[in-house]
Amino acid sequence: MGSALKIKRPLTHNIYKKDFPLLHDTHPQLHYLDNAATTHKPQSVIDAIVDAYSQTYGPIHRGLYPLAEAATAAYEEARETLAHFIGAASSKELIFTRSATEAINLVAQGWARPRLREGDCIWVTRMEHHSNFLPWQRICSQKGADLKIVELKEDGMLDWESAEGLFDRPTRLIVLTQVSNVLGVENPVRAICAKAQQAGIPVLVDGAQAVGHQPVNVRELDCDFFTFSGHKMYGPTGIGALYGKIERLEEMEPLLLGGGIVDQVDDRHFTLGSIPERFEAGSPNLAGAIGFAAAANYLLEIGLAQVHTQVSQLSRAALDALSQCPDIRLLPGRNTQRHTIISFIVDGIHPHDLAQIAGEAGVAIRAGHHCCQPLMNTLGLNGTARLSLGLYNDAADVDALLLALDQARRLIG
Amino acid sequence: MTTHQLYKDVLLDHYRHPRNKGNLDGARVVGRGSNPRCGDEIEVGLFSHGNMLDRVQFRGRGCSICIAAASMMSEALSGRSKTEAAQLSVVMHRWFGNGNGAKVEPTPPALEALSAVREYPARRKCVMLCWEALSEALFALDQTLRPL
Ligand SMILES: Cc1ncc(COP(=O)(O)O)c(C=O)c1O
Repeated sequence: MGSALKIKRPLTHNIYKKDFPLLHDTHPQLHYLDNAATTHKPQSVIDAIVDAYSQTYGPIHRGLYPLAEAATAAYEEARETLAHFIGAASSKELIFTRSATEAINLVAQGWARPRLREGDCIWVTRMEHHSNFLPWQRICSQKGADLKIVELKEDGMLDWESAEGLFDRPTRLIVLTQVSNVLGVENPVRAICAKAQQAGIPVLVDGAQAVGHQPVNVRELDCDFFTFSGHKMYGPTGIGALYGKIERLEEMEPLLLGGGIVDQVDDRHFTLGSIPERFEAGSPNLAGAIGFAAAANYLLEIGLAQVHTQVSQLSRAALDALSQCPDIRLLPGRNTQRHTIISFIVDGIHPHDLAQIAGEAGVAIRAGHHCCQPLMNTLGLNGTARLSLGLYNDAADVDALLLALDQARRLIG
Repeated sequence: MTTHQLYKDVLLDHYRHPRNKGNLDGARVVGRGSNPRCGDEIEVGLFSHGNMLDRVQFRGRGCSICIAAASMMSEALSGRSKTEAAQLSVVMHRWFGNGNGAKVEPTPPALEALSAVREYPARRKCVMLCWEALSEALFALDQTLRPL
C-alpha cells in the first residue's frame, strides 16, 4: 500500500484561517472537513455577538427608550444586510427564523397548507435533505395531495426531462435544493424557476448549502421562496432566514402566533401586523441576527466570487486525488461537477469506521445518510463518507484526510 | 501497549476474523436487530436443545464494532444456558444502554474488550445490535419451549 497521495496544486497557505479562533488557536491540529454540517465562526462574528449583548442589547419593536430603539435599529440593520446579501428587492422580504428547517416549515404550514387541495401536487427532488422533504410529505398526506419526486440520472444530476407533469396544472409548488448536501451538485435553479414562472407555479429553493459559498441572488434566480441558515455560512446557530417575494408573503399565514405580530386583538379576533413582523412572533433573536449579518459582511468583504474560486480549486484537487484511489467510489462519478461537497465510499470500510479513524487522526468528516434517506435508498446505500470544504481549508486538510484513509485501510480494509 | 489499545486490537481481530459468522440454516430460532440510521443489520441464530445454547451464530452487515460485538457475543454465549444468556443480555443493556453506562459487574472476560467502545457514545448502538437480535431470538425460543 503506497503512502497517501498528496494533492496537486496545493493551496498551501490559507490567509483566512487566522480569522477563525477555534481552528487557528484552540485546535490548530484539527482538519475540519465537515462544513456542510456546520461552519466555524470568524472572530468578527464572535465579536459582533458579544457586542450585541454588551452594547446594544434590549427589546426589539417594543420599547420607547433609547436602548430599545438602538436594539431595534440593529436588528433591522441586520435584516437589511442579509436581504442585500442575497439580492432581495426589499428587506421586508426577509424573515428571520430559527433555522433553514424552520423557514421551510413556515412555508409548508403557512403558505402551502391553506391552499393545497386534494389532487394537487407538490414536486420535490430525490436529493432533498429531510428538512426539505418531511414538511412536504406531511402536508401532502394531510391534504390528500400528491408528493412527486424528480429522480436522479446516472451522473447524479436531476432528470427534469422525465418529471412528467412537472409544470402542469395540479402542481402547486416545486421545491428543490440549490446544492445537494450529499452529492454536492448544483441544480439548474434559474432554468426551473423560469419555466415554473411561465406556468404560474411558485418555487421554493433550499439554499442552505449554497449561501456563503458562492454568490447568490434571489432576484436573478427568480424563485418565490428561498431558505438558508446562519450556522452554515460562518454565522451563529439558532438563526436562519426565509426570503419570499412580497406577493407570496402576503398570501402566507404565520406559523406561530404571539407577541409582536398583530395590529389589534380582542377577545375573539386579531388582525395581523405588517410583513415581515407578522411572521416573527415572540422576542426576536437579536444577537443571532447581528451575528448572522456579521457573517454576511465578513464574506462580502472577501467577496463571494473569491470564496467560490478558492474552495472550488481545493475541491477539484481533492476530487482528483480521491479519484486516483482504485478502492474509492465517488458519488456521483468524478466527471460530475461539484463544489464544496464530496461524498465517497471506500471498498471494505464502513463509513462510520472511516469517520472514526479519521476523527482520531484529527480529521473531521461526516459519515452516514446525511439526513437524506430517500436518496440513500435510491442509491442502494446505507451511507457515505463526506468531506465538505470551507473558506479556511487548505491542502494540508485534504492531505490529512488522504493519510487517514491509508490508516483506515491498514486497520480495517 | 495501553489496555485501551489492547482492547481495540481484540475488537479488530474479531472484526477481521469473526467467530461463528455464517449460515443460520438449521437454527432453532433467529432474531434480528437493525439500525435504520446506518442500515446495519445483524441476525442471530440459536442452535439449541432444551435450555442449552449449543451454538450461537450470526450473519449480517455492519461496521467493525457491530461485527466484532456479534462475534464476541457468539463466543461468550455458545455452550451457555438460555438463562445465562438472558442474564448477560441484562448486563449488556445496563452497560451500553441509555443509562449512565456505568460498568456493571461481573462483565465476562470474553466481553471485556468492548469497554474500548464506551468512550464513543455514538457507537454504543453498534455494540447493542447483536444483543437486540439475541433478545428477539430468546423470546422466540421461549415461545417454542412453552408447553402447548
Ligand atoms: C440542504 C440542507 N437543507 C436544510 C438543512 C437544514 O438546515 P438547518 O440546520 O439550518 O435547519 C441542511 C442542514 O444540514 C441542509 O444541508
